[in-house]
Amino acid sequence: MALRRGATVGRVRAGRSLLVVAALVLAGCGTGAGQDGKLRLTVATFGEFGYEPLFAEYERANPGIDVVGRVADFDSHHKGLITALAAGRGAADVVAVEEQYMPRLRQSTDKFADLAQFGAGELRDRWVPWKWAQGVSGETVVGLGTDMGGLAMCYRRDLFARAGLPTDRDQVAALWPTWEHYAELAERFAQRVDDAEFVDSAGAVYTAVLNQAEENYFAKSDDSFIGDTNPNVRRAFRIAGGIGAKGWTARVTTFTQPWNAAINQGRFATTTCPAWMLAQIEQAGGPEGAGRWDVTAIPGGAGNWGGSYLTVPSQGAHQRESYRLAEWLTAPQQQKKLFVQAGILPSQPEVYQDPVVLEHRDPYFGDAPVGRLFAASSDSVRPNHRGVRDADVRPVFGQALGRVEDGAQTVDQAWEQAVREAKTILG
Amino acid sequence: MLFARWDHRITPYLFIAPFFVLFLVFGLYPLLRTAWMSLHRWDLLDGPVAFTGAENYTALLADPHFYNALVNTLSIFVVATVPQLLAALGIAALLDRPSRGSTALRAVVLLPNVVPVVAVALVFTQLLGRDQGLVNWALSWFGARPVDWQAHAWSAHLGVAIMVIWRWTGYNALLYLAAMQTVPRQLREAAELDGASRARVFWTVTLPWIRPTVLFTAVVSTIGGLQLFAEPRLFGGTSTGGNDRQFQTLVMYLYENGFDRFDAGYAAAVSWVLFALCAILAFGNAALLRRLVRRG
Repeated sequence: MALRRGATVGRVRAGRSLLVVAALVLAGCGTGAGQDGKLRLTVATFGEFGYEPLFAEYERANPGIDVVGRVADFDSHHKGLITALAAGRGAADVVAVEEQYMPRLRQSTDKFADLAQFGAGELRDRWVPWKWAQGVSGETVVGLGTDMGGLAMCYRRDLFARAGLPTDRDQVAALWPTWEHYAELAERFAQRVDDAEFVDSAGAVYTAVLNQAEENYFAKSDDSFIGDTNPNVRRAFRIAGGIGAKGWTARVTTFTQPWNAAINQGRFATTTCPAWMLAQIEQAGGPEGAGRWDVTAIPGGAGNWGGSYLTVPSQGAHQRESYRLAEWLTAPQQQKKLFVQAGILPSQPEVYQDPVVLEHRDPYFGDAPVGRLFAASSDSVRPNHRGVRDADVRPVFGQALGRVEDGAQTVDQAWEQAVREAKTILG
Repeated sequence: MLFARWDHRITPYLFIAPFFVLFLVFGLYPLLRTAWMSLHRWDLLDGPVAFTGAENYTALLADPHFYNALVNTLSIFVVATVPQLLAALGIAALLDRPSRGSTALRAVVLLPNVVPVVAVALVFTQLLGRDQGLVNWALSWFGARPVDWQAHAWSAHLGVAIMVIWRWTGYNALLYLAAMQTVPRQLREAAELDGASRARVFWTVTLPWIRPTVLFTAVVSTIGGLQLFAEPRLFGGTSTGGNDRQFQTLVMYLYENGFDRFDAGYAAAVSWVLFALCAILAFGNAALLRRLVRRG
């Protein structure tokens, strides 16, 4: 959609309303020629990708290109993308897609440019294999991996001290080799501390335990529903539900306003934290929270939660240029910069094993060696199979844990209802 | 001459055209397309998958979550509308008396309606927060335990209803006020001369006179109530309306199917059933109105 804005105005004065329409269309499509004849590419992301300085750098290296960032919150971003894909217009040139939406979106290969046609196939070895695999559908390359969410556990040193627990990160990690040990620790904590809970929500524990398993709700072999029989799901639900039923959770959902407030007021002592969550905790905790939090290894070994991909919707008019931008943004050099500048965990072994990354410490979290922690976690991640309809059944189990925390149901009742609902949804 | 005749013939149509053009594009077309979609298994992204006839509708009529949403919608509607219309009547009656600064007061009454619904929902959701909410803090003065507003059906329905009441009471009050000012002076004066009290005049003169307006507001509130979405959606943060769907309304269920699960065909079926419900209730109300007006 190349709009010759100047020509329209020059020719007809009365065409002013047309100009308004044109401007709206321009804003809507988000692509086209900039005022100075540059090619404008829009990049839609959510939350914090840390891309702004990189855009400027890309523009300096490519004088003919003007990169415009568009940032929204997680939900609006993905709902907006889906609407734009369904409508056939309105998507940005380069769009970030989060892991949980990837299994479904990569099915609609006609909505996204096949990046293999621009040579993306050659890049495969940049990423850890599971990260690359999540972004492709058969031979079609839908997305290039950005960050990942190697799992660790964040904990409050001050609250641990009050509960008479060790505060040193290695000693803490030694206390919870498994999630069963973690639950025992929750009980010890609850006996000693009245005005704070052990963990933010049962859902957070559940997600972490589940993400450590290779299979969740759907079988890796044929994508059939196994959520009702898979011992991994059952175990995750039992552990998380047990903690929730005992009232050892602060009952605040991750990323909500009450969750931010609870962090700020120190109302829970631990939370599962993938790399990208550190920035959110720091933001919610504010400067006065510095040094109270620490990071250590998560029970049950490694795991991954979240991380995104850059895609190029096929409705875009400049797919080749968009691909080049996406390829550059996800290249090892840039991933390294993003980690150092914004703490965004690279999904490429070459980068997260780089000494600069490995030696990185986070002053807000008591100078925890986050580089080494997350790199260790990332190296041992087992790829986690997500079914095409994963996003349809996942919330059902989350709500079931919510009912347990509300005291409305026992763990078994909630489980039975969740399995029933999941089966109904899948038809 | 010819031009004048043309002008005469065509201009009226041109004047009414904007409405019909807009109606065709944004009213009729979506309506028909939705009907077509509802007869298919239709993926939000991939489009039509298969023609399934009435399958979506038969599934819907056997779907417990649909009935749950229907009951919730009606419950919230009753909890929101009855006090709302009563309060609006009271406010209108107060404003109907000549007093200083009444224009300013009328403007103030409309103010909550001007505030965007998202802002209203966010503010009330904070006020009704479990841990930090102002309302729970106030309740604690009386020794009450903090209420987890979203966790129970009754408290969630009440919370959502409070937002609706806040937004629409003033609007309805102004409608009532406009109607009350058409009550002939002589009627009231005659009643007062006969020794009727203020309350008596209100019940036997004013209220019967404005009955059509009362029914109009009832119809509008019904349709608005059936389409309730933004308030409960923001109140719970998800389209399921709580952990046990305890405050999921019909439109939230539509949204969950269409945009969370990409099942556009099923969502279209929900929207057509909703449309039918609105139509039935509106016709029912209109019939009631006609009978009552005739009797009045």
